[in-house]
Amino acid sequence: MLRENYTAIVERSEALLGSFATEPYECGWAGEAIFFVRILERVGEIEGVKLNVQISPDGIRWCDEGMSVTLGEEEVAFCKVGHFGNWLRLAGTLPEGASMKAIIALSLKA
Amino acid sequence: MPDQARAILNADPRFSRFDPLPRIIYHDDFNSGLRGWVELIGNYEHSLDSMLPQYADMRPPMLSSGTHWDTGTHGAMQGTYSMKLATRARAGDISVSIKRVTWRHRGPIRLEAYFTFKPEASELQLSVNDVRAVGVLFDLQDEEYRWMPHWRYLNALSGEPVRSWQFKREREPFHDIGDRAETVSHFHLAPTGWEDVPDSGQILCYNEVATKFNWYYLRMDVDLASRQITHLQCNDRIHDLTGVGPMMIPAMPNLDCMLNVAFWVETDVDKRAFLYVDSVLLSGDW
Repeated sequence: MLRENYTAIVERSEALLGSFATEPYECGWAGEAIFFVRILERVGEIEGVKLNVQISPDGIRWCDEGMSVTLGEEEVAFCKVGHFGNWLRLAGTLPEGASMKAIIALSLKA
Repeated sequence: MPDQARAILNADPRFSRFDPLPRIIYHDDFNSGLRGWVELIGNYEHSLDSMLPQYADMRPPMLSSGTHWDTGTHGAMQGTYSMKLATRARAGDISVSIKRVTWRHRGPIRLEAYFTFKPEASELQLSVNDVRAVGVLFDLQDEEYRWMPHWRYLNALSGEPVRSWQFKREREPFHDIGDRAETVSHFHLAPTGWEDVPDSGQILCYNEVATKFNWYYLRMDVDLASRQITHLQCNDRIHDLTGVGPMMIPAMPNLDCMLNVAFWVETDVDKRAFLYVDSVLLSGDW
């Protein structure tokens, strides 16, 4: 059986600042995932900021999974996730005065 | 359809619940992937910022097992998975998913689907008026016209129940995108210009709490030759088509033979609204 895979663009349009989280993405069919964060615009110091992978029992309540994406000077950052149940999102906090626009892709594979 | 062909369909649980025309163009039950259904995006040039803002964030579809905080996994009508569209948690937000093919014969086309919709189960309340609308549209083009039959179930508006079906033929203004005069865009799902399908009040089975799913049947027929909507049906209700028509636009560049279908969901409150599509079957007569 060919392994199913799907990439969802979970964030593309919002100006991200302060504390934020991506919209819940239901993906219990997948066994592995990569969050890619491609930064289109950045304002202020965002290097070193960690965006935490979060998991959920119901798509409403969230806990840190333990993995995170660390933003750097490069255009694209990523982290790999496995064994995550039915939902995934990324959550983090940018420093005061900092903001970014980003395409956040969730690459999933069965 | 010949009796023998119908008998073959009836013998297969995947198809016996459908009434397709002789040729099945696609049948997606979402138990093996999203099968070409993708987030709708607006046209852009040079930068995503050139897009009409209403199109900037239509949200990606998901494969949902219908899992809830109180009862766990609900599953789909057949199998575990359905296609789920989810809005953001802000009133008026819309999520749209589309599948794009082209037609090979200019004749009758039939869309059938089993679907349901619910608000996010984030409050222990009935929440029956939280989803504003769910809908389906065709985006079609022949040599003379781009025409777009729109059909939606207006569940509630500004907190008040409506529970009836509407169509839209009023065109929205076109805007130039970019600086090369090659691309235009129009937000045809704008809240303006919707008209009532005659006598189309219909109570669907919401079933008391946000975590119970009852699946509904939907059928929409169009005729590519006459450019008419020929049948609108939800469950046992076949709707009166008197005065019902599509949006008509002079043919546009590079859309020849377009046969797109889109589903959408719109929230009426600052809470996510979900549309679940168990299965879709598009068929044609040639």
